Amino acid sequence: MKNNPLLKKLNLRYLVSLLISIVLAFIIGAGILALSGFSPLKAYGAMLSGAFDSARHVGDFLEYAMVLCICGLACVLGARVGIFNVGGEGQLLLGAIFACQVGIWLDGFSPWIVIPAAALAAMIVGGFYAFIPGVLKVKVKVNEVITTIMLNTIAAYLCQYLAKGPWKNANKNMVAATEQLNAQYWFGNVIPRSSLSTAIFAAAIIAFIVWYVMQKTSRGFEMRLTGQNPRFARFSGIRTDRLVILCMVISGAMCGLVGMFRVYGAEHLYRDSVSRDYYFEALMVAMIAQYKPVTVIFLSLFFAVLKIGAQGMELIGVPSQIYLIIQTVIIFFMAAESGISASLQASAQKRKAKLAAKARQKGDVQHG
Amino acid sequence: MDDFLNILGSVFSAGTFNEMLRRATPVALAAIGGSLTEHAGIMNIGMDGMILMGAFFGVLGSALMSSAWGGIGMVLVLGVLVGLFFALFVVKFRSDEFIIGCALNTFALGLTTYLSRAIFGTSGAKGYPSLPTVDIPFLDSIPFLGEVLNHHSLFVYLTWLLVFVLWVFIYKTPYGFWLRASGEKPDTLRTAGIDPDKMKWIASVLCGILCGLAGAHLSLGYLNGTFAENMSNSRGYIAFACVIFGAANPSKAYLAALMFGFFDAIGLRLQDYVSSDLTGIIPYAITIIMMVYVVIRGQQKKKHAAKRLPDPAGKT
Amino acid sequence: MQELAVQFKHISMEFPGVLANDDVSLDIRRGEVFALVGENGAGKTTLMNILYGINEPTDGEVYIGGKKVEHFSPKNAISLGVGMVHQHFMLVPSFTVAQNIVMSKEPRKLGFLFDNKAAEQKTRELVDNYGLVVDSSAVVQEISVGLQQRVEILKTLYRGADILILDEPTAVLTPQETDELFAVIRRVVKEHGMTVIIITHKLYEVMAISDRVGVMRKGRLIGVADTCDMDEKKLASMMVGRPVLYDRLEKTGVPGEERIKVEDLHVLDNRGLPAVDGLSLSVRAGEVLGIAAIEGNGQSELLEAITGMRPIENGEISICGQSIRGKDPGEIRQLGLAHIPEDRLATGVSRDASVTDNLIVGRHREKAFNRFGFHQRTSTIERYAQQVYDNFDIRGAGLEVNVGSMSGGNMQKVVVAREFSFDTPVLIIAQPTRGVDVGAIEFIHSRIIEKRNAGCAILLCSADLDEVFRLSDRIITMYEGHITGHFKASEISKEEIGYYMTGDRSGEEAVYEK
Repeated sequence: MKNNPLLKKLNLRYLVSLLISIVLAFIIGAGILALSGFSPLKAYGAMLSGAFDSARHVGDFLEYAMVLCICGLACVLGARVGIFNVGGEGQLLLGAIFACQVGIWLDGFSPWIVIPAAALAAMIVGGFYAFIPGVLKVKVKVNEVITTIMLNTIAAYLCQYLAKGPWKNANKNMVAATEQLNAQYWFGNVIPRSSLSTAIFAAAIIAFIVWYVMQKTSRGFEMRLTGQNPRFARFSGIRTDRLVILCMVISGAMCGLVGMFRVYGAEHLYRDSVSRDYYFEALMVAMIAQYKPVTVIFLSLFFAVLKIGAQGMELIGVPSQIYLIIQTVIIFFMAAESGISASLQASAQKRKAKLAAKARQKGDVQHG
Repeated sequence: MDDFLNILGSVFSAGTFNEMLRRATPVALAAIGGSLTEHAGIMNIGMDGMILMGAFFGVLGSALMSSAWGGIGMVLVLGVLVGLFFALFVVKFRSDEFIIGCALNTFALGLTTYLSRAIFGTSGAKGYPSLPTVDIPFLDSIPFLGEVLNHHSLFVYLTWLLVFVLWVFIYKTPYGFWLRASGEKPDTLRTAGIDPDKMKWIASVLCGILCGLAGAHLSLGYLNGTFAENMSNSRGYIAFACVIFGAANPSKAYLAALMFGFFDAIGLRLQDYVSSDLTGIIPYAITIIMMVYVVIRGQQKKKHAAKRLPDPAGKT
Repeated sequence: MQELAVQFKHISMEFPGVLANDDVSLDIRRGEVFALVGENGAGKTTLMNILYGINEPTDGEVYIGGKKVEHFSPKNAISLGVGMVHQHFMLVPSFTVAQNIVMSKEPRKLGFLFDNKAAEQKTRELVDNYGLVVDSSAVVQEISVGLQQRVEILKTLYRGADILILDEPTAVLTPQETDELFAVIRRVVKEHGMTVIIITHKLYEVMAISDRVGVMRKGRLIGVADTCDMDEKKLASMMVGRPVLYDRLEKTGVPGEERIKVEDLHVLDNRGLPAVDGLSLSVRAGEVLGIAAIEGNGQSELLEAITGMRPIENGEISICGQSIRGKDPGEIRQLGLAHIPEDRLATGVSRDASVTDNLIVGRHREKAFNRFGFHQRTSTIERYAQQVYDNFDIRGAGLEVNVGSMSGGNMQKVVVAREFSFDTPVLIIAQPTRGVDVGAIEFIHSRIIEKRNAGCAILLCSADLDEVFRLSDRIITMYEGHITGHFKASEISKEEIGYYMTGDRSGEEAVYEK
């Protein structure tokens, strides 16, 4: 729909403010590092090598980028129609544990049966878990942010219960974990010893489909309008209620699927390291990307490098959470970007107006 | 049958209600702070982060100055700063409250975990000076009530006072009227020569302080001078639900927090019979049910009120 | 020479991209009623906002009571005795009348407690003093608009105003309430020596109430005169810059079959009160049925019910012979209906979407615009949008810009262009030219009549009586959800319509119907 799609997509103002935000965030991060007695240069150096020093780490950050990207796109999908799925964490965990359990129940069947069944189970569970807040939002008008956050905690407890109780690993040393999947169901490893599995190809296809539907189809067009002005969308004949719930369910299904990828690709059983608030980090990425799908993909890579790199910082004693600080500081700057430039402009204009008035006054005096 | 009676007995024991007060207090403190921002028209979902920072800096202050009061002092300063920070974005820069709230929560998680590990090491902060409990001598002689009400940390009692003070502030002082006007119709204030943004700043700062105190109660009054990573554990969101439930009235929000505390405490009591992972679900499930109930009740109330209205076009 | 209450000296006010006031110099005398007239966007409200300190002028000076205004803030203006009643009331809906009136100067107990008793006492004193009767303990959201306006006036009086600005005070009032308001104005001027500045664009009101009148056009003050030297015609031509001479619209054809049918319709408003109360009407192909009503008498809810945006409590609506029961807005459109909504920003456009997007909505699922039924054909869509854009003479920065950045008139043209391009047999049109400049009005009107002549059944609703008269074949008047009169447009005068719009004339209904 644009004359020059490339130029339009490369929103210059956005890129510049993103770059400035990132630089400022790293400077602030350096300040915090220095204050807590670490050398910022050494720490950032460790971060860089932590991500790139071995093929294994590259594989790890690619895998994490996949998680961020699909979860981030799931968030974008909701945001596009004006509903914030903050509950991806719960959907992911439930998807993971159910997908895992399906693999254990169906042990012995061909992978051609087990893997699709597990994927389906993950999507159904995740989708259903998103359906609840979706319906509550559309039909009862209950704020979805609170309900999804509550559902996250509930899901975490529930998974904990299942992993400790009914579905517990027979091994006494494993406190909260399910049985391990039979190795024939594991996704193939793409980079040896890293967590990167063939799931990344499935993820790439999903990312492409989501991008395509949102940007190129009439459905995506309807989603955009619904998010921009739901009343207008309804007025124009779009079934907004249905569309919002549908997007929420798909968003949940995607998160559930990520959970399945984590289990079948990396962990090979369910335990709480399947996700440690990964969805929240994806949510941050989606926010920084201003809910634009392509930007989400690129930023996922960037933040995955930071995250895996930050684990490298642990080696020299720096807590890796500095990464969360840097990430959120970027969000603060990006969210305030329009506000900051507006207040700068306003004060500049005031100054200009005052100068102009003074000049005119002088002119009047000279005339008189 | 006996089992059932046993369960019932332990659920409705004085211990449960004592526990209820203890567990309700951090949520209640945050909720009455949230009432202020809610009245000022700010959707504050950043309370969870504010609580978490309060919890950490409370312990940090306590550790640095070897006194729980030092911790409280630090929390007060921090609360002001966090409130100012929040208002800077939400009020001054008019950023999206949802994004800022979310980011603040994650920021707090990152900052407190980072500092906790950098300062206290991976084992965390434990056993620093905590707030003494208040012992009211004559209360012990009253059988049930004494057990429920006595020997709490100062914050439990302070919360009662604050609920009353804030209720008076919001509904009985001119400043409270301005605060409510700043959320409901800011232009009324502007045309009256009062800056509505100023009221929003004040509300944010007060909310920052109260959430900070809620966190301090968690780490200094509730656990003994201990900070655990992510110890706010979604309490900020529950507090937000309490604010909505109580229609931003501090006393009603306090009751909602008590309800949360009650279910939280019951979960603890039932641990012997049901897995604690399942009972842990209760307060969060209750919160969702509460939210749905509030909305449905609100819609019914509106319909009801409309029927009471005398005449639609309003010729009087 | 009389003492001056206010002096504006060479006031200019520039907003980004707009010169709202252009070198305005104006004197207001103490104790007079000064009317400021002009079209929408002429800069009247901006000038008054400067006087009230909301806006600081980019250039020029303001003197109040002979003193130069140094700091522009409402606080300062209030202390200099200026009070303003805004078009949109500045009242807190959940507060009582007294609480609203004393805001910012509350009576206190113990220095920090709000003294509600004293507030109500002071309100009652004001009420007695000025004869503006209102219940001091009533909650504002539960009283009528007319009473809310009184509260606004009392509020300015409580703050000690002696210069009262009224911004379009009669827009939401019934004629009776308008009469009462004018009586109040005369009283405060005569008995309390106040100065009143009234902004309006209703010329008969200028003649009825003011001593002097100033006319603004496009940010400039065109002229000031004693009201007694003026008449409505002179004022009108000053306002628009040329004598208003609309071309006669050629209406042809005879009405055909029934297309819109409403029977015994009951609809509730947002508060859950009956808004449409047992209304029936019918519109045939090739005719325009106009609804004349003062805002808030159920006409908005009626149109929303017909288009499916509001649930029907009771009754029956059919479009082209098919009932709309249980259908959503999209399905109702399928029956052959298009709709220009009354509030284009809230309902008519997506501000953050491009012009192209706003023009294609509704047709975006059509085969011609989709490959394989789902892949959008961007070039075909663009060609279509360009065609509509040119066809409806939309003037803006092209198809790519967001609709939100366009002027009101062009935005409205986008809405009209889209809805008219559906070529439906039924059109529901609300406020087609609100906030639109004169040239665009002419254009939109001629398009509406074109549709009528082509055999469309059109239901029109407008707050502008002239528009209703110009376009309609038949006119109904609505009051409190009922039809109070039913007329042929050629056989009734505006004055008579006004009578039926303003009250339940049961028993007298259908007098004019032939």
